[in-house]
Amino acid sequence: MNRTALIWRVASFAVAAGFIALWQLIANLKLVSPVFLPGPDRAWAALMRGFSSGDLWSKLAGTLEHMAYGWLAASIAGIAIGAIIGSSRTMRTYVAPSLEFLRPLPVSAIIPVAIAMLGLTQAMALFVIAFGAIWPIMLATIHGFAAVEPRLYEVARSLQMSRLAVIFKIALPSASPDILAGMRLSLTVALILSVVCEILAGLDGLGHWVLLSARAFRSADLFAGVILLGVTGYVTSVAMSLAEHRLLAWQASQR
Amino acid sequence: MASAAKRLEAVSDTATPQIAFDGVTLALGGKTIIENLSLGVRPGEFLCIVGASGCGKTTALRLAAGLYQPTGGRVNFDGQPMREPRREIAIVFQDYGKALLPWRTAAGNVSLALEAGGMPTAERPARIEELLRTVGLPGHAGKYPSEMSGGMQQRLQIARCLAQEPKTLLMDEPFGALDAMTRQGLQDEVLSLVAASGATVIFVTHDLDEAIYLGDRVIGLLPHPGRIGIELSVNLPRPRDQLSTREHPEFLRLRRQLFDFIKATEQ
Amino acid sequence: MTGNSAKALALPLAVLVAFEVWARAIHLQSDSLAPPSAIVMALFGAFADFSILTATRDTLFSAFTGLAIGTLIGLAFGIAFGISDTLNRLMEVTVEAIRPIPSIALLPIALIALGFGYRMEIVIVAFACVWPILILSRAAVRSIEPRLMEVARALRLPPAQRVWKIIIPAALPRIFVAFRLSAGIALIVAVTVEIAINPLGLGAGIMLAQQALRPDLMLAYLVWIGIIGYALNILLTVAQRRLFGRAALSGDSP
Repeated sequence: MNRTALIWRVASFAVAAGFIALWQLIANLKLVSPVFLPGPDRAWAALMRGFSSGDLWSKLAGTLEHMAYGWLAASIAGIAIGAIIGSSRTMRTYVAPSLEFLRPLPVSAIIPVAIAMLGLTQAMALFVIAFGAIWPIMLATIHGFAAVEPRLYEVARSLQMSRLAVIFKIALPSASPDILAGMRLSLTVALILSVVCEILAGLDGLGHWVLLSARAFRSADLFAGVILLGVTGYVTSVAMSLAEHRLLAWQASQR
Repeated sequence: MASAAKRLEAVSDTATPQIAFDGVTLALGGKTIIENLSLGVRPGEFLCIVGASGCGKTTALRLAAGLYQPTGGRVNFDGQPMREPRREIAIVFQDYGKALLPWRTAAGNVSLALEAGGMPTAERPARIEELLRTVGLPGHAGKYPSEMSGGMQQRLQIARCLAQEPKTLLMDEPFGALDAMTRQGLQDEVLSLVAASGATVIFVTHDLDEAIYLGDRVIGLLPHPGRIGIELSVNLPRPRDQLSTREHPEFLRLRRQLFDFIKATEQ
Repeated sequence: MTGNSAKALALPLAVLVAFEVWARAIHLQSDSLAPPSAIVMALFGAFADFSILTATRDTLFSAFTGLAIGTLIGLAFGIAFGISDTLNRLMEVTVEAIRPIPSIALLPIALIALGFGYRMEIVIVAFACVWPILILSRAAVRSIEPRLMEVARALRLPPAQRVWKIIIPAALPRIFVAFRLSAGIALIVAVTVEIAINPLGLGAGIMLAQQALRPDLMLAYLVWIGIIGYALNILLTVAQRRLFGRAALSGDSP
């Protein structure tokens, strides 16, 4: 980072600090009832208290667990199904349009069906999260597999590569930019659905924590939970970017 | 020199052709692209195919590669019918940018052919280095194709094809997209690589000078549908040289003959 | 083309028929599944007593109001950030700190501040819609041909007119892409809020059907929500193509 960029960064942090100070001022002057709006000081204190008592850690762990399991299941299934559909022209003509039709369906609408089948359980939450997160990954994989340069398949044929080798050495790496973009979208979906499922089913996690805090009008705890959810969203997306950057290093000079 | 002598001997040999087209017809989507093409390529021969665009020269090459199956007639390789592509036939595509794996380095791209050939992991690095040196890319092993010039990418594709240790090398206008200087350099390199390996070559080009300069024999195709219109034996001394070969009276005579033929097909 | 759409329909039709036959063969008794014929009947029933129409109206009202508010806010900030690099750099940390908050996490805050009803739902939808509009309109403004901006300067257009006559029209095709994406998000968030907590609209309708152990009605709601999502998407895609031609679609991410 050069000097000017650093100065801008510092200035930008200063502006953010200014907004936090403004928030503190509003809270101190009680322009908004403290029942709804705690100051940043109280939110921070609640965050620290939650961490030191271990409460927030376990809620955070719960949310991360739901998110991770659902997302990983969706990734594995989405890539596998997407690869099967994407690598066959027949499957693409017969199956892909149905999937395109289902895509704009608000995935949360599947929650009542999942509840009816599985009850208010952990299994229901994982099903819903995986179901919601699978779409972007699966559709991106189909697209990626369909868009593999045909010349590369000819190279593979002239090398007499096995079907498995073609999938792992040609098609998957070629589709990887699409697949990773789909996985990144799915990460956001997984976090949102984790929170919704925790709220609905009362599962241990930050979603449940913020709802309980709201019901008890513990606004400081509520804000602490929301802040933590924001941090979760930020950290997971940064981690995903880093992974993408590493895995797609070969694309860097191509862009 | 020894290999050149061996080469001449191989060409003059009247043994069974390595690749034989026997009355080959190919129709795609109701259109006949190649009709009743018969052609034999002897082991070690360097055959060039020229013709106006749309005459089916690339299609003929893809038939020889086994990427297409003829709708009539037969394509034989070493006396056996070609049912599918085989590893001892390597093909160098014109669009090198599409035929290389962008996510693999130069070394990785060469390695693909070695992996397909089942070479043990431990033996690959030495072989890769040797191949990259052969095509004039030493020290570029870690580069991605996108970091290389067009000429370097085409060299890399040739290295991958050599890694197949092919009996036959099929080249589809390999230098068509390169500038004149790079092209001449690569022509000479291909000649010496082929002389060293003793591979049979079918080389498709639209550049008549290139065809005469490289080939032992030049075939001109007529379009709609593709069939043989002219066949010339090139009796120019080897090794060939960019200056003296191109000034050789025989070169100029063949060039004239080929130009007249192409001109006639275009009318 | 007709051949292909026939092939596209083959799979869903086969699944529906197979499911119907299977459900009848075993005399399906379930809290979560119902044969397609029963679902269609339930959908007709819900239309007949206007319940699904009322719910649709409530959901779409919340979604579109939230979308409108979110679009206006996102557009205002997006254009401002696109024009002024200084402003953009100063606000960067603030934006990056708020953006990753999952919209649904605001639900409890909106709940205690506003209570149940349209308002809390609209606020959450608006929050969710702001970001794609802000990010994409900022990018759209930045990518305006610099020559156009020079024209504006040469004409000595005052800033307000510069925005209104040059910047917005030039960036409009890409802004519309953002709007289309946000419209989808608005519907999803509205339904999600209703399913999670808010007792109105389609989301509440589907939850009630589930709790009343009416799988036919629940699935009828699901199908209807799907149809609305699909119709909205088609409508906006067609509008986009009509208004800006095919070129505008190239700004789409896959």
